[in-house]
Parts: sequence; C-alpha cells; structure tokens
Amino acid sequence: MTPPALAVEKLAYRYPDGTVALREVSFQIAAGECVGLLGPNGSGKSTLLLHLNGILPDKPGASGTVNVQGELITTANLEAIRRQVGLMFQDPDDQLFCATVEEDVAFGPSQLGLAKEVVFERVRQALARMGLTGYERRTPYHLSQGEKRRACLAGVLACEPSILVLDEPTSGLDPRGRREFMALLREVPATKLIATHDLEMVVEMCSRSIILDGGCVVADGPTLDLLDNEELMLAHGLERPHSLHHLRIEEPFFWKPPQQLGK
Amino acid sequence: MSGIHFGHNHTPYAPEFRPTAGVCVPFAWLAPEWKLAVMLTLVVVTAVMPLTYWFWHVGAGALLIVLALVGRVALKPLLWRVLWLLPFVAGAALAAAWHGPTGPGWPTVAARGGLCLLIVLIFAAVTPFGALPGVLRRVGVPALLVTTMALMHRYLFVLVDESDRMRRARTCRTFMPRRKFGWRLDAEVIGRLFVRASERAERIYLAMCARGWK
Amino acid sequence: MHIPDGFIDGKTAAATAALSAVGVGLALRQVRRELPPRKIPLLGLAAAFLFAAQMVNFPVAGGTSGHLLGGVLVAALLGPSAAVVVMTTVLIVQCFLFADGGVLALGANIFNMAILGSMSGYAIYRLVGNYLPGIRGRVTAVAFASWCSVVLASIACAGQLAWSGTVAWSVAFPAMTGVHMLIGLGEGAISALVFYAVAKARPELTTNAPAQPARSFVGYGLLVAIGIALFVAPFACPWPDGLEAVAAKLGFEHVAKESMAAPMTNYVMPGVGSVGVATALAGIVGSLVAFVLAVVLSFLIVRKEPTATKTSASA
Repeated sequence: MTPPALAVEKLAYRYPDGTVALREVSFQIAAGECVGLLGPNGSGKSTLLLHLNGILPDKPGASGTVNVQGELITTANLEAIRRQVGLMFQDPDDQLFCATVEEDVAFGPSQLGLAKEVVFERVRQALARMGLTGYERRTPYHLSQGEKRRACLAGVLACEPSILVLDEPTSGLDPRGRREFMALLREVPATKLIATHDLEMVVEMCSRSIILDGGCVVADGPTLDLLDNEELMLAHGLERPHSLHHLRIEEPFFWKPPQQLGK
Repeated sequence: MSGIHFGHNHTPYAPEFRPTAGVCVPFAWLAPEWKLAVMLTLVVVTAVMPLTYWFWHVGAGALLIVLALVGRVALKPLLWRVLWLLPFVAGAALAAAWHGPTGPGWPTVAARGGLCLLIVLIFAAVTPFGALPGVLRRVGVPALLVTTMALMHRYLFVLVDESDRMRRARTCRTFMPRRKFGWRLDAEVIGRLFVRASERAERIYLAMCARGWK
Repeated sequence: MHIPDGFIDGKTAAATAALSAVGVGLALRQVRRELPPRKIPLLGLAAAFLFAAQMVNFPVAGGTSGHLLGGVLVAALLGPSAAVVVMTTVLIVQCFLFADGGVLALGANIFNMAILGSMSGYAIYRLVGNYLPGIRGRVTAVAFASWCSVVLASIACAGQLAWSGTVAWSVAFPAMTGVHMLIGLGEGAISALVFYAVAKARPELTTNAPAQPARSFVGYGLLVAIGIALFVAPFACPWPDGLEAVAAKLGFEHVAKESMAAPMTNYVMPGVGSVGVATALAGIVGSLVAFVLAVVLSFLIVRKEPTATKTSASA
C-alpha cells in the first residue's frame, strides 16, 4: 500500500512568545490530490505550511510528526524533504530574493547540486511553462504581481517537487492574473495543498478541503460538502461561496448552465 | 525604468541613469570586468596625475563626453548628480587653497575630483548593477560582503516603497502641518522600516531554506 | 564626510586601504562566527534600510538638511561587527554607483565611517549604556555615541587630508571637527529617535547584546590605535624633538587662525597658551556638552519609562 503523500500526526506548535499556533493537527493527503486549506486569519494555516518541509519546528518530532511519502521529517533528512515538497510563499518579494528572474529560478536547482547545463535546461523549461520566456534578465522589482507569482511558481517547479504547497497564491491578483495562474496550476501534476481565502478557487480546483480554526482541524472532507454548509462556514470566519448559491455543480470541474435550485 | 519616485524629499539618488533601464545595455560587448578595470585605471591615473599634464585631464574629459553620448546616457540626471557632489569638491578645493604653496593647489584638486566623479558616474550608467556582485566575487571580494550587497540592491527599492507608503498614510491623517514634530514622525517611520526589514529578512531566510539553501 | 577622489595621495590611500581590509576581514570573520544563519539576510536588509533611511532628509537649523549616517544605530541593533559589514557595503555601493566618495578614497572612507566610527561609537554606547539605567539610559547612550562617532570619524578624515598634504592640519582639523560637532548633534538626535521607535515597536530587537569576545575588541582596538598613530598623532601632538618644530607649528597656527572665519576661533580657548592643551580642553568641553544634550534628549523622547520596564518585566 503506497504511503500517503503527506501524513500529519498530532502536530502542535507554540511560538517563542508563548502563542499557541497549532493544537493536535492531524490529516493525510494522498498522492495526486488537490486539497484546499481554509480558515480565518490567525488560524495557523501559514504556520502549518512551514511544518510541511521542515522549516518549523526547530527540532522536528518534538510535538507531533510529519511524514512525507512515508518518510518522517527529522533533522537528518531535511534536504531530501525539501526536494520533494515545494513551498510557495505568500509574499512574492520574500521569495524572489535574487537579482534577476533567471538567477532566482536557478537558485533551487543549483542548490541541489545539479550540473550547469541541467540547471539551465530546468530554468528554461520552468519559465516556458509559466509563460515567462524572455523574462530571464528582468529584475523582480519591475514585474507585475501576476508575473511575480508566476516567477515564484517557476522557481519552485524548477526543483521538480512531487508535492506543491502554496500559501495564498491568488491574493492580490487581478482577475486575469488569477485565471492565468489557476490554469497554470491545474496543469502541474503534483500533489497540491493550497492555503487560501479564495473560496471560488477552492470550489473549482480542490476536490477536498480542510478547515483550520484556532490551530485545530475543525472539518475535513469533500469540498462541496464543506463549503455548502453555511453554518460551518460562518462559524469559522468563512462564508458559502457565491458559485454555490446559484449553481448546482455535480462535477467540480464541469460548469453547467445556471439552474434554478431551491437552496 | 523612469518614474521610480523616491518620495517628496528630492534626493538625487536615481537607480539608473538610463531612461530604459534593464532593456539594453550600452557597451554590452565589453564584459563588466573590463569596464571595472578601465574605470579603475582611469581613476587612479587621474587622481595622481599632476595638473602640468593638463592634456590628460582634457583628453579624459573629452573621452567621457564621447562615452556618454555613445552610451546614450541620460544627461540630466547625470548633471544633477554632478551638481549635487560638486559642493564637496569645491569645499575641499577651497580648503586646499588655504593650504598655501606646499599643497597641490585648488585647481588640481578641483580638476581631479571632478573628473574622477564623472568617470565613476559614467561607469555606473553603463554597467547594470546586477553585473557588479559577480565581478566582485570573481575578483575575490568575500562572499558574505557580495551577498549583502546583492540583497541590499534587491530590497532597497522595496524598502523605499514601504517608507513612502508609510509616510503617505501618515500624511493622510495629518491635518495640521506640525513642523516641530516632523523629526519625530519621520524617525518613527524609519524605526518601523527597520522592524519591517528585519521581519522580511526572517521570511527571506525561510524562503531560502525552503529551496535548499545551506 | 565621504572623501572624493584626488584628495588623498597614494600613501594615505594605501595605508587606509590596508587598515580597512584588515578591519573588514576581522568583522566578516566575527559575523560568520557569532551571527546565527537566520540573520544572514538581515545584513543585506539592514544595508538596504540604511540606504533608504539616508534618503530621508531631516531639516537642520533652517535651510540646510542633514541625513543619518547610521553606524552606531546599526551597531546598537545588530552588533558591532555586523555594523562594520553593513556600513562597508553601503559605502562600497555609494562609491561605485553614485560616486559618493572616491574609489581610491574608499579605504579611507571605510576606515573612518565603518570601522572607526562604528566601533568607537559602539564601545561608547556599551560603556554609557551600562552605567545609565533603563531605556532612557540606552537612548542617551545611542545619542552620545553617535555624536562621538561622527566627531571621531571627522578627526581621522582631517588627519588623512593633512597626511596627504591636501589640506593643512591646522585648517582641516578645526574645520572638519567643528562642522561635524554640529552635524553629530543631528546624527545623535536622529539615531536616538529611531532607536527608541524600534524599542517601542519590538523591544526584543534592541535588547540583544551579542557577547563580544575581548579578543576581537583587541583586534579592532589595535587598528584604531594604528589609525590614530598615523593620521592624528603626528599633527595633534608635536613630537618633543626640537623646539623649532613646536614654534613653527604655533607660528603657523597663528597665521591659520587669522585667515579662518570667526566661528573657528571659538575652538581654541582664549587664555590657554599651548595649542595642544587648548584643543584637548575644547574637545572635553564639547563632549560634555554633547553628553548633557543627549541626556536631555532622552528625557524629551522617553516619556513613560518606568511603566515600560515594569510591563516588560512581568511579561
């Protein structure tokens, strides 16, 4: 039986100043799934994501465990874990820290110790997939938000991870940028965990959702079941997405013409 | 890229002197190492050349003008920058004038200073900054210093934007212009800028770790 | 106080370059040893912050405006070696990109502002901060130490100009030091205000005191001593070999005094015969005045000091 792509078991975390960020968080994600991570601000989503590639805690295994492809995260195998789990940060300016787009996308592969030609090829492919061919010499400062997000994703994909973890990837994007980004994301064949407030995107892309509130998992199940439950949504700082008000969606990835329904 | 605005204090620090930054590089056929070497040679020779060999100074000046024209350097920011730095040169030249006959004399000081200024400014205008860390690394400057320089350049504009935004937000809620407390409020903005910078530095470290930085 | 090109001659440039190289090397080694890896990007960000902060012009006594140098501020927030690295980076970029400070004079500028200014300022900051209590004490320490760093750097700068033969010591020293005693007041005030703003927002950023091993201080101290020996001592203390030298200096001093504008005559105290003693006295008086001003400033800035310490103790 293949181990799940991600298995989090009773994860707890407390910040140095004493604030409890996570309490006994447990869930599993199978390979190939696309899961949405929802929750109000301050629920611990970003903290949870930092645990998935070993950045937090300082001593892995202290309270709770994280297994990636069946392998437990310990201080010894952090490099290998980070090769498999690609994390995309919320603020693209934090992630694009190199002088040019080319250098930034090449950062990951060169840290992996690959040969120069391989790095070059990966950079070229990643930029091509993101529609950023020709942006190699551009400085991150001069890119638009959408271009920055795509450059960030290119940088993460250049490491060829099997699991993709994204923190609010569509926040601050204009509608076109958002649609473009979602289309690109759909084509990535990795297992995906997306922490977001963009409920419409979750409806469209994620078959399963996890709701986090106050550091605990309060719900974990098929997206439509969770997001259609108005009480549940409102109780945890969310709301029922508009697309579910007016449409009945049987298959999340097929749009049917609007039908009147009694809901 | 023109239009990068550094706040309402007009400081002559412009990120690039070129109106179309980052798109085409003049003298691109000349590697940045060579540009640096040429610049350094010119500066060293100009700094030690006595004024009796005035043809050197005149020649160098003419060369610079030619380079600036060929390289399509934007003249206005360049001249503004020279004007900004001129008082320092003039001041020291004046002081040198008081020194008497044993010193180099004010014309020499002024000529040398002004010329070296122009050399460095034109070098900066024709060399994109991104090339500089690589060159310095190859020359043997320690890695930590080069990384610091690269990160500094990368985030300078981000921080300036943030400070602009903070001051603009403050101005929106300042109904009476209080000159007296201008210091204090500016200092608070700078203080918060440092806090933001250090928080961002933490996040950058995390982003670097996430991509395997050791 | 960035020295442009053409103002210092070959030997001064070489000497300062050597001293700076050693000093920066020491600082880099120290930083690599004591700075945790998660703070490495902070050096670059601090340099960017300093650069950005230097773009904010503060009005200084009508008309003119000054800007922050920031060496002591960064030293108080990040530690002295980090401050040396950060200041060096800023100076290098200012030199190569904006011609603010000559390429040949880079060694001198780094020595004056990054090494001498930051290190001596930090030492004074720790000294004063240890004796004065609470946040007020530290604000006073930052203000006074910043003033001292500017003045000391200007003295070294004057010495370098004199050693190069560009400007006479008797002209450079009073001019540079006098002007920078005033500029230093602005620097002290701005540094103190910013330090206090950071302390209010994130107190933990201002309370880190990286344990600086005595060995490194010895290294820096040696550099500073050599610098003083080269750039200041020959001019400030005439060697006691030959009365003529002293007389010539004094005679020359009279000539210089007459040609100087009025504000400078205040520098040499009336009624004191020897130039050296007069200078020393003027320096001490100036420092005391600056210290008193720093204390006053801290009282103006820090309003609710006792409650702040109480809440931080209980948290």
